[in-house]
Amino acid sequence: MLSACVARGPLIADSLAPGARASIDLDATPFFPQEKHRCGPAALATVLVASSVSVNPEALDPLVYIPARRGSLQVEMQAAPRAFGRLSYVLSGDLDSILAELDAGRPVLVLHNYGLPFLPRWHYAVAIGYDAASDQMTLRSGVTRVQRMSARHFMVWWHNGGRLAMVVLRPGETAASANAKLYLEAAADFERVASPEESRLAFDAAVQRWPSEAVGWVGRGTAEYRSGELTAAAKDYAAALRVDVTSVGARNNFAQTLLDLGCPRSAHEQLQPIETDNLESPLREMVLDTRRRVEAASHTSPEADPKSCALTN
Amino acid sequence: MKLSPWRKCAIGILSVALINMGVSGVASATIVDTATLVAVDREADLNLVRGQLDRADVRAQMEKMGMDASAVDRRIANLNDRELHRLAADLQNAPAGGDVLAVIGAVFVVLLILELVGVIDIFKKTAPAH
Repeated sequence: MLSACVARGPLIADSLAPGARASIDLDATPFFPQEKHRCGPAALATVLVASSVSVNPEALDPLVYIPARRGSLQVEMQAAPRAFGRLSYVLSGDLDSILAELDAGRPVLVLHNYGLPFLPRWHYAVAIGYDAASDQMTLRSGVTRVQRMSARHFMVWWHNGGRLAMVVLRPGETAASANAKLYLEAAADFERVASPEESRLAFDAAVQRWPSEAVGWVGRGTAEYRSGELTAAAKDYAAALRVDVTSVGARNNFAQTLLDLGCPRSAHEQLQPIETDNLESPLREMVLDTRRRVEAASHTSPEADPKSCALTN
Repeated sequence: MKLSPWRKCAIGILSVALINMGVSGVASATIVDTATLVAVDREADLNLVRGQLDRADVRAQMEKMGMDASAVDRRIANLNDRELHRLAADLQNAPAGGDVLAVIGAVFVVLLILELVGVIDIFKKTAPAH
């Protein structure tokens, strides 16, 4: 069995995308030597500062460190970047995607487990480079500024740590290896706390990269709606419906925007095909609410919508 | 008027609940937030109700674990309902990354054992459910 291990080829060379560089060292990545038990805040500060956020591990301590657990939990590590105007994107669990991010110039936060199944030792570190020739990974880890380890060891510890790898994205960036669904989930979570401008950048990137995903158009439309750009919002909701005619969210938001633009009859037409009986809460209540509003406006306004309404359809 | 801690807590939970109704901040308009659309694949309807319960639960657990109340509020505000639900489940037992193993030499023994007991499938491309 040991000989079988040896016979396995180099991991990095096999996992590199065509055209990717054979060796990367993101040496400009900052280094924050960790305090006791505090690899979480240190690793997070490393990727945030690399993404030009002004922060340090001490400031992250109250967001991700749990004294009673002497460590940091994944779920809070993943959520924290949003508090600093950044999206966090969790990579799929293969070496390929880590290498792709490094090749794109982005350090990758990873969770390693150096212990045994019954005696785990969990540790967050940041991958900052790789070298295909020596089959080695380079990390910022603990109190070590440059730690090199064989790709094989990296993989074993990463696998035992549950293969968590994440990158921090500026609004407008998508991960090199990003998949549309996961990115849109990350962007939707970002929308909850982001300004309309930041949110618009995040969804604009989705629209550019995955124009056939309705959710991206809806997200950009909503960012525009929230900054008061109603015509742009209406166009994006209409685009979402061209891609996915069944999107109730897009239709509801389109109708609300048309209503705000003084087009209650066009809004009514949009809501007409929605069968609210089949909808889940809270979407159902929201559509019913929009419908009430549209009906009320239709009664008090002129017979037909102004000509300008046709532009957004 | 001085508010009792209970009342403060109730006001806090209610405000968070209202913010999370998925209604935009724009007065008298119903814009569905994008998270609601994405949530269709994520047991959406349960999350809202469950999220509110989790908030109270997580707050109590975190305070018991020695974190001060203002930091707890900030942490909870940063999480969506799905993440809160996960945190409620993770707080006591999930892996919490902390330190590098002091004796790195021991690791090689561990590695050897792991390779021998069939961790060979770590080199497969698919990730474990996590």
